[in-house]
Amino acid sequence: MLLCAFTALSLLPSSCSKDPIRQKIIDPDTTRAANYENGIFIINEGNFNWGNASVTYLDNASNHVFQDVFAKSNSRSLGDVAESMTIVNGLGYLVINNSNRIEVVSLKDFKSVKTIEGLHLPRFLQVIDSNKAYVTNLLNSISIIDLKTNMVTKAIQTNSWTENLVRYNKCVFVTSIGSFNKPSSQRNAQILVIDIGTDAVVDSIQTGKEPIGLVLDKYQKLWALCSGGYDNYEAPALLRINPDLRIVEKEFTFPNLQEVPGRLCINPTGDTIYFLKGGVFQMPVLSQTLPGQALINDDGRLFYGLNIHPVSGYIYVSDAKDYVQNGTAFQYTVHGNLITHYATGRIPGSFCFTRGAIR
Amino acid sequence: MIKIGKYIIFCFALLSIPGFSIHLKAQNLKDPLHLPEIEIKSKYLRDNNGFKKTTIDSGLLINHLNEDLSNILSKYSTIFIKSYGNGTLATPSFRGTTAQHTMVEWNGINLNSPMLGQADLSQIPVSQFDGLEILYGSAGISKTTGAFGGVINLVTNPDWNNKINILLSQTIGSFQSYTTNLNVVAGSSSFQSHSKFNYAAASNDFPYYNAYENTTMHQQNASYALFGMSEELFWKLKDKHLMSIKFRYNQDDRNIPLTESNPDTNHKENQKESVLLAVLDYKFVEKKYNLFVRSAFASRKMHYTLDSSIDDNHHYNQWINEVKFAYTGIRNLSIKPGIDFTHDQVNSDAYDGMKTRNTTSFFSEINYDFGPKVKMSLVIREDLVDSKFLPVVPAIGVEYIPWKNTGLSFALNLARNYRYPTLNDLYWTISGNPDLEPETNYSAELGFSFHHQAKDRKFALEINLSGYYSWIYNMITWSPVNGSNDLWKPENIDEIWARGLETGLNLKWEILGFDLSLDNNYHLCHSTYQKSSSAYDQKIGNQLIYIPVHTLNSTVMIERWKFFLNYNFIFVSDRFTAKDNLSLMPAYSLSSVIFGKKIPVKHLVLSLQLDINNLFNLNYQSVANRPMPGINYAFTLKLGLSSLYRQ
Repeated sequence: MLLCAFTALSLLPSSCSKDPIRQKIIDPDTTRAANYENGIFIINEGNFNWGNASVTYLDNASNHVFQDVFAKSNSRSLGDVAESMTIVNGLGYLVINNSNRIEVVSLKDFKSVKTIEGLHLPRFLQVIDSNKAYVTNLLNSISIIDLKTNMVTKAIQTNSWTENLVRYNKCVFVTSIGSFNKPSSQRNAQILVIDIGTDAVVDSIQTGKEPIGLVLDKYQKLWALCSGGYDNYEAPALLRINPDLRIVEKEFTFPNLQEVPGRLCINPTGDTIYFLKGGVFQMPVLSQTLPGQALINDDGRLFYGLNIHPVSGYIYVSDAKDYVQNGTAFQYTVHGNLITHYATGRIPGSFCFTRGAIR
Repeated sequence: MIKIGKYIIFCFALLSIPGFSIHLKAQNLKDPLHLPEIEIKSKYLRDNNGFKKTTIDSGLLINHLNEDLSNILSKYSTIFIKSYGNGTLATPSFRGTTAQHTMVEWNGINLNSPMLGQADLSQIPVSQFDGLEILYGSAGISKTTGAFGGVINLVTNPDWNNKINILLSQTIGSFQSYTTNLNVVAGSSSFQSHSKFNYAAASNDFPYYNAYENTTMHQQNASYALFGMSEELFWKLKDKHLMSIKFRYNQDDRNIPLTESNPDTNHKENQKESVLLAVLDYKFVEKKYNLFVRSAFASRKMHYTLDSSIDDNHHYNQWINEVKFAYTGIRNLSIKPGIDFTHDQVNSDAYDGMKTRNTTSFFSEINYDFGPKVKMSLVIREDLVDSKFLPVVPAIGVEYIPWKNTGLSFALNLARNYRYPTLNDLYWTISGNPDLEPETNYSAELGFSFHHQAKDRKFALEINLSGYYSWIYNMITWSPVNGSNDLWKPENIDEIWARGLETGLNLKWEILGFDLSLDNNYHLCHSTYQKSSSAYDQKIGNQLIYIPVHTLNSTVMIERWKFFLNYNFIFVSDRFTAKDNLSLMPAYSLSSVIFGKKIPVKHLVLSLQLDINNLFNLNYQSVANRPMPGINYAFTLKLGLSSLYRQ
């Protein structure tokens, strides 16, 4: 009997399925949002080289969480390592780092309207005006995108890994980490000042190693968070910068090389900054010292993404767990009280809020 | 796609190099092209009493000379192979464990990298060994510690009856793939020499459907070239002294292919590797005891480049010395104590300075027969790593043979085992964790086997069934560290429960002039995470990623009128790609066919063979985002000089 079963099986033709055998996400919810114009996007990086980046959408109107909305609307994967999303003129710009492209999607149906190529491992997008945006890259340069044609039109040579951007008057301040391929000791860490009229680097400010975060507060001071280097080259530091004089006014040094802060954010009123260092830390911009205690403890979670709601000031923080399963996003009040949590895709790294999002 | 002309020229050019055909000697293929009278060999053997071992012999391997070890194991064993693409990284998962829990050995020398702790099976050509032994679970404790899944031992053995045996084989296949093998085996009743040479190269630019780009593309940056040679010399003196010297050199240059979702054609990733092994063995055999002494040296160099961002060299040397003694002077009892010493030395750009490790292993096997029905084995091993003793590794096995001459036997074994962290786990710059503890494994196994052979030797049947149950504590997993800026570190965080059933059914039948054989293996494997890191961690009770619950392979072989046909079918069930089991790679089945004809001309045998792989042109991936080829072909021409046996 057993023999017959084996023989029968062995003579079965191969799988009859005509669909290509590719990675599948198990999601019993096949519904789609009516539109994507009022809610919160969670950008799930996905694993490096696994091609499983995705977008989770929390819809304000229905209070429903939709998973993997890009793949559902476009019948293909979003790509490899989704870094960030920025909304411009009713379009979402999804920066896909290791696929080396930006997917431009309509917020009506989340269908891709354009794929921007010609980038150098892109990171973040900053809108300059209705025609122009800057995109930072891990390699080479800052790319300039024409928002009318959604094409790369120009590049600002930096020969370094550029990361976060903040607009201040007629300038954009960009954190520049140094050559991507070099150890911290050989990286020139600085903040570049770019004139948005001429697209030229006009000035620079030296910082600590690996300036990864940059925000502007209500007193028109820039805050830069330096991790100290992936190789723990030096102590991490938080810098307060005067953007008019382009000098570092104050430096807060973190005590432990191994406890590395990241994901610098600021609240809507511009008086309190937040960052991750295991847990979520909160610090008034007028404070004379770094916060000693976390506002939200990690409790075994792996906090990975952090953002502050631009209206309510609620804290959104994500747990990437061990990177090999779906994450969870948590919503907290400004006092650190848990409101609720949502399931996300793989490695939730950043949040993007629509203009009307009221959560 | 098949280019013949260039090929034949190449293979004959090779023959005409003076000294080449004399100096390069090869594999012990008893009769390379001529299948002997139906040869009935038991596939399932008990290595020690109560421990499971199976073998795959040269008769089966002969039609797969153009393939690598990963293909053989996925076609003929219960071991699941995780393949990143055609000719690219292929790692084993044995009994629900990870690649680091399977030790691959060549004549008893560990081929797993001491840095990474695993072997890439795609780099081991089939032509470099005569047969292979698979030791399941705790059966591996007789060889080494840490092989929770088991041990795959590639063996070459002398045939003292051989005078001369030469085999030249040339394959050309789809995607500009070329494989050349030359084996020369020559000697006398007291001396044998095996020389082997192999070369394989492919541009490997197979077309595939890119679901991300929505178009058919050619795989890029996927070419490879492998070269290997070995020389093995065996001496036998008065049936008392056995000595052998073995050298093996392999060189490998491979590009690492692009993923489906990374269309950047400027992306270049490459790995170059060279491995040299030298082994000196001496065995002294007396009536009641024997002594075995070994000294071996291994040197491996690896050069890895990724675009302009990584350019790393790794170099390691390994020196192995072993003494084993066996005493069989007491009836029903054998005692085999031994000691081995391994010195590892690594110079790697990824480590801070040179790292060394000394491992001394003390072991003993005691086998005792309580009469004809019950046999027992006890294996004890203890490792001293640098100056630290690991706990004792014991394994006990019992075999029960209820009736004489029925071919029926039952087996049971219990074991505790440890695996020491790899050198990468300990010393990788910044990430390495010198505080790691060894992994611990407790396992139990119950087996049954039945072997029947007809009196006229024209029919044989084997059935095998084993159930295993295994817990791994303190499993080392590389994972991101909270609050550390994306730093990954190896930590003793996972707890794994692996249990499963392996069944095998083999049949050989000589009927109406047809030689028929069937080889079937099925593995049911549940291997689950048993520990979570936080309240939101969803993995407890879930299947490990990339380990299928069901794997099945089935092969039908038919021979008649010197024609041969081999049809192989593989089924692999869904493999989860997430620890929460919410994403997966769907199940697939693959078929392949080998068809050929042997043409004997006096002492020469010419053989022609056509392989068709992925017969139904399945558009599939085994690992997410890693393209696999559709239907593809290989044509092999073999020329054998044999039958010069001493009468």
